[in-house]
Order: sequence, then C-alpha cells, then structure tokens
Amino acid sequence: MSTRARVVQIEQPAATGGNALLVLVGLAVAFLLVVALLGVAKGGGSLFSESNLLYVALVFYAGAGALYMGFGVTGTARYVTFASTSTAIGLAANTLAVAHRWYLSGRPPFASIYEMLLSFVWAVAALTLLAEKKFGVKIIGSITMPLAVVCVILMQLLPSEVRPLVPALQSTWLHVHVTLAMLSYAACALSCALAMMFLIQDDLKTEIFLVWTSALVSAIYIGIIATRFERWGGLSVTGWNASTKSDIFLGPGMRLFVTVPDLGWLFVLATLGAIAPLALYFVGRAKRDDSLLPIANKAVFISILLQIVVLAAFALRVRNASYPSPDQEGLFPTSLAASPFLLGGMITGIFASLLYLMLLWRRADLQGLLPSADTLDRVTYKTICIAFPLLTGMIAAGAYWANRTWGSYWSWDPKETWAAITWLVYAGYLHMRITRGWRGRRAAYFAILGFGVVIFTFLGVTYLLPGLHAYA
Amino acid sequence: MAFTVLSIPKRIHKTFANLRTGVVLLILVVIASALGTFILQRPATDADKLTRAYSPTTLLWLDRLSLTDVFHAWWFMTLLALVSLSIILVSIDRFPNSWRFYARPYRKTDSHFRSALASKVELPIRDAEQGLNAAERALKKLRWPVERIAYQKEPALYCERHRFSVMAVYVIHASLLLIFCGGIIDGIFGYNGFMQLQRDQQVNQIELRNGAKKTLPFSIKCYSAGQENYADGSPKKWWSRLAVIQDGKEIQTKEIVVNDPLVHGGLRFYQASFGMTGNLDALKLLATPASGSGREITLRMNEPVDLDANTSVTLAEYIPDFFIRDNQVFKRSDNPDNPAFRLQVKNKATGDDAKLWLFPAYGEAAEGQKTNYSFTYRDMQMGYFTGLEVSHEPGQWLVWAGCLLMGAGLFVAFYMVHMRLWIVAVPDARGRLVLWIGGQANKNRDRFDQKFNEVVDTIRTELEKTSAAAGPARKEQPNLTLVAVK
Repeated sequence: MSTRARVVQIEQPAATGGNALLVLVGLAVAFLLVVALLGVAKGGGSLFSESNLLYVALVFYAGAGALYMGFGVTGTARYVTFASTSTAIGLAANTLAVAHRWYLSGRPPFASIYEMLLSFVWAVAALTLLAEKKFGVKIIGSITMPLAVVCVILMQLLPSEVRPLVPALQSTWLHVHVTLAMLSYAACALSCALAMMFLIQDDLKTEIFLVWTSALVSAIYIGIIATRFERWGGLSVTGWNASTKSDIFLGPGMRLFVTVPDLGWLFVLATLGAIAPLALYFVGRAKRDDSLLPIANKAVFISILLQIVVLAAFALRVRNASYPSPDQEGLFPTSLAASPFLLGGMITGIFASLLYLMLLWRRADLQGLLPSADTLDRVTYKTICIAFPLLTGMIAAGAYWANRTWGSYWSWDPKETWAAITWLVYAGYLHMRITRGWRGRRAAYFAILGFGVVIFTFLGVTYLLPGLHAYA
Repeated sequence: MAFTVLSIPKRIHKTFANLRTGVVLLILVVIASALGTFILQRPATDADKLTRAYSPTTLLWLDRLSLTDVFHAWWFMTLLALVSLSIILVSIDRFPNSWRFYARPYRKTDSHFRSALASKVELPIRDAEQGLNAAERALKKLRWPVERIAYQKEPALYCERHRFSVMAVYVIHASLLLIFCGGIIDGIFGYNGFMQLQRDQQVNQIELRNGAKKTLPFSIKCYSAGQENYADGSPKKWWSRLAVIQDGKEIQTKEIVVNDPLVHGGLRFYQASFGMTGNLDALKLLATPASGSGREITLRMNEPVDLDANTSVTLAEYIPDFFIRDNQVFKRSDNPDNPAFRLQVKNKATGDDAKLWLFPAYGEAAEGQKTNYSFTYRDMQMGYFTGLEVSHEPGQWLVWAGCLLMGAGLFVAFYMVHMRLWIVAVPDARGRLVLWIGGQANKNRDRFDQKFNEVVDTIRTELEKTSAAAGPARKEQPNLTLVAVK
C-alpha cells in the first residue's frame, strides 16, 4: 500500500486550483471557436452549416470530456457542473446539425453510416444528460463523452455529402427501424457505462481495471499489426481517391492498399507499450510481488505517451501523402479519411488509458460522487430493460421492412444474424438476472459484454462482414 | 436413481426443463450463428469465390460439417428445435406456480405475512370501521380497485394492480414459439423464386433457388417497366406495371416499386432488378411519301406496318454498332450507340420488295430505288427486362403476430408493475389500534415506493378529515376502540 501511495505522489500532477482547468478549457473552447469563426469569415459560406455545427458540438463535447477527466484528476466537484453544461451546449449544436441535415435532405438522417453516427452521438449525449439529471449518475460523461468525441472525429473522416436515397431505402420503415436501432444502441452504451461505474463503486480492485484497459489497448494494436504490418516495417493503409472522395478499388470489394514505410515499427513499439503493463501485472501476480504493480501503472503512463506519438506520426505521415503499393505500380495518395477505423481504434485506446489513469489517481473522489453500488446496479438493469424492447422492435421492424424489400423477412444476413446475437446476449442477461438472481459484478460484466456485441454489430459487421445490409 | 427405461423421458424432461440447459443451448446457437457470419456461406457466395477463399481441404471439411451453409444445416435446425423444446418445458415447469399465484392472489394479512413484508406503515386510528372506510375512500380517489376481505378476524382491505403482468413472461415465450412456428411453416411450405419479364411478356413460371421451375396457376404480364434517376445519375426508382392474368382474364393490375410488391394468391412479386436486354424494342421513323407530308411510325422487329393501302414496311435487321467493309454491313460491338437498321418495303400492287439500310449516324434519310418513301430516323428504344423476386411465405402472418405479441408482452413485463396493498386495522406492538398498510411490487421498487408513499399520504389526509369531522373531543381515547376490536 505504501508503495502505491508513493507512486500516486510521483505521478499525480501538482494539484491545480479549483478554477485553473475551467479557465483552460474555457480558453481552449473559445480559441477553437474563434479559429473556426475566422475560417468561416475568410472562406465565406454559411455560419450555421452542418459541418460548422458539428464542429461546435465536437468542441463542446471535447470540453465536457476534458472537464469530466479534469474532475478525475483534481477531484474538483464543480467541474462536473460545467462539464454537464458543456455537454448540453454540445447537444444543442448537435441537434441543430441533425435538424440542418434533415431540412436539407428532406428526410431524417438515417441513410448512411455517417448519418447513423450523427444520430447515435446525439442519442448518447441526450441519454448522458438524462442519466445525470434523472438518476444522479454525475460522472457518466467521463465514459460517454470520449465515446461521443471518437464518433464525431470518425464522422469528420467519413463521406458526409447528402446522397439521395437508393430505392430500397425509400420506406417509412427506414425511419422506424433506424430510430429504434439508435435509441437501443444508445441505451446499451449507457448501460455499459453504468456497469463500469458500478464496478468502480463496487470496490473492484484497480488492478483489474488495469488488466482490462491494457488488454483492450493491446487488442486494438495487435489487431492493427496483425492486419496491417507489412514486410520491412511498413504499415499498409487504404489508398484514397481525392476526386471521388472514396477508397481506391482494384475490383469489386478489393481495396488498394499502399505501404507507408517504417510506420509499422512504431506500431510494434506501441503494441509492446500496451502489453507491458499487462505483462508486469501477471509477472507480479505469479511471483506474488506487489512492487511490480506501481511499475505497471507507470508503464500505462508510458503507453499513453507512446500511443500519442504513434497517433501523431500516423496523422502526419498518412495525411495527404503518396506511397507505393505492393499490388500496383506507381504512387497512390492516402488520406486520414481512408482509415477512419484505424484512427478510431487508436483514439479509443488513448481515451481508455486516460480513463484508467483517472481511476488510479482519483478513485476515492469518484466513489464519493457516484450513487451507491446498489443504485448503479439497478439503474444498469433498468437501462437494459429500456434497451431490450427497443432492440426487439428494431429487429421486428427490420424484418417487416426486409419482407417488403427483399422478399424475405429473415435471410441470415450477417447484420441480421448479429442483431439476433445481440438480442440473445441481452436476453441471456435478463434471464440470469431475473431467474438466477445475478446481481452485481457478474451482471455488470454481462452488460459490458453486451455493449461490445452491440458495437460489433453496429460498426464491425458493416466493415468486416459485408452482406445485403450494405447501407450501414 | 436407476437407469430404467421409464426414467429416460423423465431425465430428458429434467435436462431440458433446466434453465442452465437453455442457456447452454443459446450459447451454442450464438456460436454457430457467429461462425455462419464469418465463414462464407454457400447460397449467397458463388462457388468461385469459395474456392478462391479456402484451400480445397478446408473447403471439403467446411462442406462436410455444413459450415458453408450453417443456417440450413440439420444440426442448426436441431439446435433451434432444442431451444424451442427447452422454452416449452421450462414454461410448463414454471407455469403451475405462476398460475396459482395469478389465480388465487394472497389476500390474507396474518401476522407472519405482515412482519415479512418490506414496505409497511402504521397509522393510529380510533375506530376500525371508520379507518378502513377512510382508507377505501382514499384508494378510490387514487383509482385503486379495492376489495374488502371479510373472511378473516380483522377487517381488511386488499387491492392490486396489473396482476396479469406476472403472466407476461409466458406471453413473451409463447410469442417466440409463434415466430419459430411461422419460420418452420415457411421452411417447409414456403419457396422463393425469380421471374424475368420483358415488355408485354406473359409468364407463369418461376425459377426456384435450386434451379427447378415451378408453374403458377396464373400468369404475370408486364405492361411496362422503367428506371428513374436522380440528377447525379444514381437510381431513384425502379417500377413495373404488372397484371395478373388468370384464364385469359386480367384480374389485377398494379405498378410495383421497390418497397411495394404485388400480392396475389399468397405470392408476392417484388421489384428486384431492371436491365436492358440488348435487343431493340422499337424504332421510331418519319416515313415521307414522294408527294405529301410524312408521318411518324413505330417499328418493331419483323412486324410489318402499313404505310398506305399497298405499301408496308418491316424492320428486318438491327445492328447496334456497325461498320462497312466491301460494301457490306458488319457488327462491331453490342453497344447501341452507332446503330444500323435494315428495312424491307413491300408493295402489294407492284410486287416490289425493296431492302434498304438506314444509318442514323450519317444523318440522311434512307431512300429506296423502288419505293415511293423515304425514311428518317427519329428515335429508338432498347428492350428491357424487369426481374421479379417471387416469394411464398404462408407462415409470415404467424411471425408478425408473434412480433406484435412479443411487443405487448415485453411492454407488460417491463413496464407494468404488479403492485399489491394490504390494509388492516390491528393493534400494534404497544397495543394501540392502528391502520396497518403494507405493500409489495414485483419490480421497479423505486417507483413502487413513490406510489406507496402517495397512498399512505392520501389515507393519512383522509383519516385526518374523518377525525376532524368526528370532533376533537374523542381524540384522546384510542384505547377504547382497541378494546372494541379485541
């Protein structure tokens, strides 16, 4: 214990005054807004365009995220109030962005992965505020806001132009199906965040969080390395055709990959950095040596630095550059927009690690602010009680629509199958909880697993398992 | 227990009526379905792609384990059947208890029961009957259905709301079985096929997924079909004007679009594809006689059109993309951007039979030596086909009924709380007469606590009103009524 306390002293930044971070975040928000305003003034164009509104939403969501995390670092309760205000402003801008797009296209924004994310972020922010006000879960935003920020950043990179609806999507059922989907997915996200809060409040050992955080980050980087590492240390990324704003295709479904030399080594380094805390923890446990744990925590800190360096290097080298491809002669341009999911994964890793540091440094304060473990457990369950019927409705509406469009209500398409799997996982949760009396940690792990499956169904299936459900 | 023959059904029952078995089965279904999404599947993926994706040995084993068609494999069907069996047996096992609870609600308020209840409040009263009356008024005001319990020593009230919600879980499971039933019926009796129609074509056969043909008791005729585009060229709408023809009579017509099929005789015809056949459908020409003004005519392949009493013209040949060599016309490609047409002009009176070429690219009118007419190209229309997906799904109504039932069941199960209140006038621990109020809910305790407090507050107000009406003088005499009750 004493060693841990010492580490905390070493790693904890000097306690800032109550207002320092507020002023900093306020200045940052103001600065970013002014820069954007100058850009708009110089470039002409509408002030209240969708992309500008989305930018405002991003800035305020990011500000909220910084304040929630700032609360985590300094323990100043007032930050949470400001963070929630910032979330509300972000949500307002987000609402306007949705409304603007809706007005321009004359239909709800549900027709592409970009529009789905737009609606999803909106639902997440709205539910965050709801959870704060209604259930008193004050710092839920420290998990949901980074999620929102990751999504908005992803959206900046995805093709966003308003496309007319293809014939299959011209149906009222599109709106029913997607509204239900977004609401249920957002409720699932919330239940996952609440389950994590429960684990914090339930005195789950901080080391266990270390293990899961490092495992997540390692999995992200191992996944990148496994699929993208090329010989002699290159990293392959998708080629980008700037004029059509899409990936370069060699044939149907076959993307052209280019190799960025030497970048692969950096990713290997980041992977090692992510695995290090995990390895240290397990070695320490095997040897029953507690002194390795503080080193593992330091390794997390180093891992974050490495991740930031890798992200920066990736951004610098991939942004608007040209590289050779192993498949075809010549140089092909790349863009950050061609690799939204690599970027999303990297940013998720950084946020996850930062959240862990916040927990490590300020656990007691967090626990003081959260409702009791019992309440969190119940609210998690209630959220799933909302999500599950919505999920059921989403699948039923989708089946009915598919029956009108494809001639069959169930075709075992990957998206359909994974929606059914999600449904089964949550059905399993409900059964275990209601008939087996699963409470507390087991239920919380189950809720987190459920959201993992939701994310896979939402994003993973779209990009990994193409099928009939090709729109999003 | 001995392994006798008789015990086997019992053991099977015991195994499948177990929630753990159900969960294990569900996990197996999840794993199998996930495999089915990661491994390329047979009907959807063509054989070429499969052989490219997997090595021959892998593919052999995948096929042997029917992992290339998981969702139609016998073992997957068996798994689903076992899940259904498990749902049925678990429900049968649990049903009697729930039914007993539902059919004979526990209304009594003996002291054991009272001490076990979580939410309870005691309000001092003077007179049992008066207290209960006040409570009854309060509850009626809050719209609770109130029942007087007469068959026990202490006079009591009982009320409850949404008792049926305890049965909702059976409704949900039944709805799931209903959906499965629909799926099974469609699996056995349903079929899916494809039909391709050109303009004015009438077809009564569909090609099933397995390549077999199926003849329908009626035929479908396509009057016209088309595609509309957005300004950027992406498709906006595909449509087909269809008619159902039975015994030579047209009994139904409909213009179908992508989200709106034609339904007839339990079959649904969906707009699935649209394309060009590559053949010419119609050629529009201006036919001008030697003297007088021309008129526009429409020619179709090998269909003579009369120009005047004696003369007729036929479109005899069409070349989509032509070139000329040695004074002969040849085809260069199938792209219909440089067409040539050969016309045949017949004159009945003279017996002349003139053949002439029309090359729109040259921008000239075609004139035959032996004809009185010249022909100028106006327009041509390419032939198209419309592809219709045909499906017969007799079980779908069970599926939709199941979905609606499940929605209702989930709503009741999650959002309607079974709440019960017991109110009885009894002496408390110190011997004073009190109105004992107890309550219970099967879920959503927070919400119930609010409701319970609301009930207690209203009863308290009502009691105060009663005592105010009775006058303050008797306020200090609770013990008298106590004696009366005992």
